Formats: sequence, C-alpha cells, structure tokens
Amino acid sequence: MRPSLALLRTTTFRLALAQAGVVLVFVVALLVYVYFATIGQLVADSDVLADQEYAALERAYAEGGIRRLNQEVVERAARQGPLLYVLAEGNGVVVTGDFQQLPSLPGESVQRIDFGFESTDAEGAAQRGRARGKVGRLLNGPILLVARDLGDSEVMSGRITRVLWTVAILGVFLSIASGLIASWLASRRAEALASTARDVMAGDLKRRAPVRGEGDEFDALAEAMNAMLDRLERLMQVSRTAGDAIAHDLRSPLTRFRQKLEAALEAPADTANDREALRKALEEADSLLDMFAAVLKLARVESNPNWRFERIDASDILRELVDFYEPAAEEQGRTLRGEIAPDLFVNGETGLFTQAVSNLVENALKYTPEGGHIALTAARRSDGRIEIAVSDDGPGIAPADRDRVQERFVRLESARSSPGAGLGLSLVAAVARLHRGGLHLRDGLDNGEGKGLGAALVLPAAA
Amino acid sequence: MRVLLVEDDADMAESLRASLAADEHEVEIAGDGELGQSMAATGGYDVIVLDRMLPKKLGVSVVRELREQGVSTPVLILSALHDEDHRVEGLNAGANDYLGKPFSTRELLARVRALWNGRDRDVQTRLQVGDLEMDLLARTVKRGGKKLDLQPREFRLLEYLMRNSGQTVTRKMLLENVWDYHFDPQTNVIDVHISRLRSKIDRDFAQSLLHTVRGSGYRLEA
Repeated sequence: MRPSLALLRTTTFRLALAQAGVVLVFVVALLVYVYFATIGQLVADSDVLADQEYAALERAYAEGGIRRLNQEVVERAARQGPLLYVLAEGNGVVVTGDFQQLPSLPGESVQRIDFGFESTDAEGAAQRGRARGKVGRLLNGPILLVARDLGDSEVMSGRITRVLWTVAILGVFLSIASGLIASWLASRRAEALASTARDVMAGDLKRRAPVRGEGDEFDALAEAMNAMLDRLERLMQVSRTAGDAIAHDLRSPLTRFRQKLEAALEAPADTANDREALRKALEEADSLLDMFAAVLKLARVESNPNWRFERIDASDILRELVDFYEPAAEEQGRTLRGEIAPDLFVNGETGLFTQAVSNLVENALKYTPEGGHIALTAARRSDGRIEIAVSDDGPGIAPADRDRVQERFVRLESARSSPGAGLGLSLVAAVARLHRGGLHLRDGLDNGEGKGLGAALVLPAAA
Repeated sequence: MRVLLVEDDADMAESLRASLAADEHEVEIAGDGELGQSMAATGGYDVIVLDRMLPKKLGVSVVRELREQGVSTPVLILSALHDEDHRVEGLNAGANDYLGKPFSTRELLARVRALWNGRDRDVQTRLQVGDLEMDLLARTVKRGGKKLDLQPREFRLLEYLMRNSGQTVTRKMLLENVWDYHFDPQTNVIDVHISRLRSKIDRDFAQSLLHTVRGSGYRLEA
C-alpha cells in the first residue's frame, strides 16, 4: 500500500472532503442570496419605479395629448437620475429621449424590457450599460419607454460574486489541505498504536502505547489500550506463575499419595494397615481434587464473562451466612457477630457472592485464635458503594504482604501449617473484580498488641 | 430398586455399578445418550443416573426429551461441570438432582436413595417419624405431644431430615437443600447445626432419633 494513497483513504481525509463540499454548498447559497439581495431587489424596485413613471406619463398624454407628453419626456430625460426615457412614433422613429433608437419595437401590449445600451460619460468615452423597464404603445400610436439604468449595482454584484468564488476556491483548497494534514497527523498516531499492538503480539509484553498527555481521543484510546495490556500482562504473569505453582503444589501431595500406596504394597499384608494406608491415600486424593476444583473455579471466574448476574439481596445473604457460621464459631470458642444494614442490593451471581464472603469468614475463623472475635459488617458507604467487611482480632497480615496474599497459591510462612492451597483470597479478589468491585485488606479489630485483619469487599450498589 | 446408569466411561460405569449393586440395587448400563434414552423410556426403572457428557446425545437433552415424552422417573445428573449455571441448566431440563464430579460413592448412594424416596413428596402437610411430628401448615413440631421450639433454619433442617427419614443424608445434601449453598465449607459447620438440633429433639427423650452415620452423614430414624 503506497502511503500517499493510504492517506486518501483515512477517515479524517474523508471528513475534510466532506467539509470542502460543505464550503462549496455554502458559497453557492451565499451567491444566490447576494444575487437576490442586490440585483433581484433592484429589478423589483426598477419595475415599481418604471410602472409609476409610465403611469404618470400616460396620464400626461391623456390630459395634454402628444405635445404635453413630449414636453414631459424632454423634462424628465434632462433630469439627473437613473431613469431613462424614450418617446417614439408608431413606426419606431425616436422623437425625443435618452436614446437615439429603441432597443426593439414593442408589440400590441405593454411589456417588460431588459436591454443593453451604449452611452457616453462626461469625458465622452463609450460605456456599456444595462437597463430594465417598460415599453408600450399609447393610444393612437406613439411608443413610450421608461427604464432604469442598472449600471452601478450590476458592477458591484459582479465584484461580490468574484470575491465569493475566490473564497469558495480557497476554502475548498484549505479544507483539503487541512484534511490531508489532519489525516497525516491522525494516521501517525494511529500507527503508533498499531505498532504497539504489533510489538505486543510479537511478544514484547512490556511495550505500551505512547500517551501525549493532551487528553484527546488518541490519549484516551492509548490509555485504554495500556490498561488492557496491563491486565493482559498480569494474566500472562499469573498463568505463568500459576503453572509453576500448580506443578509445585501438586508435587508434594502426589508424592505423599504415591509413597503411601507404595509403602502399603511393600509392607507385609496386613488388613488393618492396608485400610489405614488406603484411607490416607483417599484423603490425599481428595485434597488434590479440591485443589483442582479451586483452580478451575478461579479460572472460570477470571476468564468467563457469561455469569448470569441478577439483583441480589446482599443483606439477606449475609444475615444467613452469619446464622450459618455462628454456631460453629461459638463451638470453636470464637465470637462471630454480624452488623448488617438492611436493603443492600448488588448485581451479582448469588453462588459466587456467597462463596466469596464465606471464604472471608472461614479465613477469619481459621486464623483467629481461640477466644477471638470476628465481625461481619455490611453498609452503604458515602460514595454509594457497598462495603462488606470481615474483621478479626487475629494476628493480622503485615501491610507489606497484603497485596501478595491475594495472588494465587501465595501462603505466608505463618499459614504453612494449616490446610489450604492459598487460593481462597485469590478467588475472593477475582469474584470482587467480576462484580466490578475490589477486595481491600486493611487493619481489623484490636487484638491487644496490634490489629487483626480486615478484609473488605467493596462493590457497586445495584440500582 | 432398579437403576439405569448411563455412562460412557466403561471403568467408571463398572465401578459405579459395583457400588450400586453393593447397596442392593439392580443396575443396567447404557453406554451412550441415545441408548440410555430408549432404555429409560421403556425399562420401568426407579432411578436414572445420567452422565452429562455422553456420546450421541448429551445428558441434558436426554432428560429434556424424556420429560417431554412424559417419563417421570427421577434423574440424577453426574457432571464434571458443576458450576451454578450448569446445575441450573440440568435442573431446568427436568433433572431432580445434580452431583458434581468428583463425588464420593457414599454421596451418590445417598442421593439415589433420596431420589427414590422423594418421588412423590410435597403433597404432605404432616410429617411423622416415631413420636416426632411436624405440622407443615402450622409450622409446629412436637415430640411425644410436647411442643418443641425451633428456629426457622432448624425447622427447615428437620423438615429435610424427616422427609428423608430412614435413609442417610450427606452434609452436602443438607448444604444444598437446606441452605442452597453449593460450596464446601471447610469447618464442621453442619455438624454443629445438627448437634444443636439434636439437643432440641433428642436430649429429653430416651430414644434418639437423629443418628450420625460415620463417614457419610446423618439419618433420622425411629
């Protein structure tokens, strides 16, 4: 594709051509207007004037006959002014008036006439002029012509017309030129975006589209593209590390699984021992399957946009969750209490929403020592969003680690001894993102030495 | 009872057949959806266990067409896809229960029995197990004529247990049917709810009705 032709195909250039067309149409419209406002008006005025004069002279003829008419025409023709008169005999021979001869012989009826003529100015130079008027035969034959000289206004409108045509040609030319420049600029910036996309496709995930900081549509596009690339890079990163982590995290339970079966096979046959080995192998298999299920669920939440969202009563679901977990918490020597504002609605998927909050509650139950307190609070924030927080007075998480624990498979050293694959918070964070919200980890309840953990889901409220 | 098992994986089918046979069911196996559907339509089975991914015809289509033909045999769909939307799709097609893979054999057996038991429920307004009585209209529970005071959630838990009395219900069945939760809580939450219910219905009486079935779940039985 030759660049010069490519330029002609750009949207901006097409817009410039359209603009040139508009300029042309505007100028033509202006010409029509100017014509009617000058010549058209003049012609109309001339016709009125000629009619009045003609009628006055007709009256003079009727009252005083040919002598009176002749006298009037001579007087009027001698006056300064734009009006021209000719009185001729019935055969067209001029008796008196501004011209030596009639432009044409009239027919039987009075008619409008539009004619060119030559005259001499003060210095005796010949001049061409144009006039418009009325000519007709009076009773018993004489011909009377009354006309108005259109000279000056004709010249003026000619000039205006020339200026407007000049403007039109210049406008069209400038429109096309500016279109070419704009499309060249625009295609240069579009090309920058396209080249970014090509580089990323070629594998350079760090490449970003240039943002000029002018806040125009190209900047908006570049920013959106960069945000998309950030997410893409994060997903690539996540899937890369997740692959490693899955391989690593599955290796240990699979090894234990294999080792238990092997040990049982090699030991002398003993029903009780064999059954115990099988039971343990089954437990390992179950924990592996749980881990797979969690990974798959997370992948589905992160990659599948087709969840069926509906308006759900978050307050109701949260109250039920408190009811559900409260007895177990009490049994385990922990206090779970709910402070849930009524009528909080979100757009969401009930199952995922419920599971996300339940993950937070279970995390709190797991990491809060006996005698600990857990609070599930939900309220509408001043910015209209809904905040659902599970706060505990357990050991908490150091601020530096709070982002990291939301990544999949990340488990802090302190949690290594407890069961779980390190996917719980990742799932909650993914569910929050799916619901156009976020998961924020912060200080929780006071535990005497410091703060426990507060995990807050902030979601947009449903209309 | 007679169970039709529609499953294309021969190993899986044989292992399920053995488990169902050990639970005293008579099992016939169909290896694809079309065969499964024609057998289901004519075979007079008590329960149909149907894999979701089948050759020739998908499980969901099999159920939908069986229901259109007027076959009302209870159907349990087994599926590796057990997200909410797939579950709802299966149930909307006319399945009575939906169990995600992997599942434990005990879970499957409990659900097959529950399907058979539950085939003509919902018409009752009174439930009775031994001297335990539930009035579903007045929403009252009495044992030995003495009124018991239950929370709404405990009432629903007991109702489910009573409807399935005499057979084992798993924790997962309770979660799905009483709470409508489709995830596995990691703590012993269900056990605590059961023990609270037990303290209300069994504590003051000589005979225990609510039994723990080790490794499986619970059974309400006189």
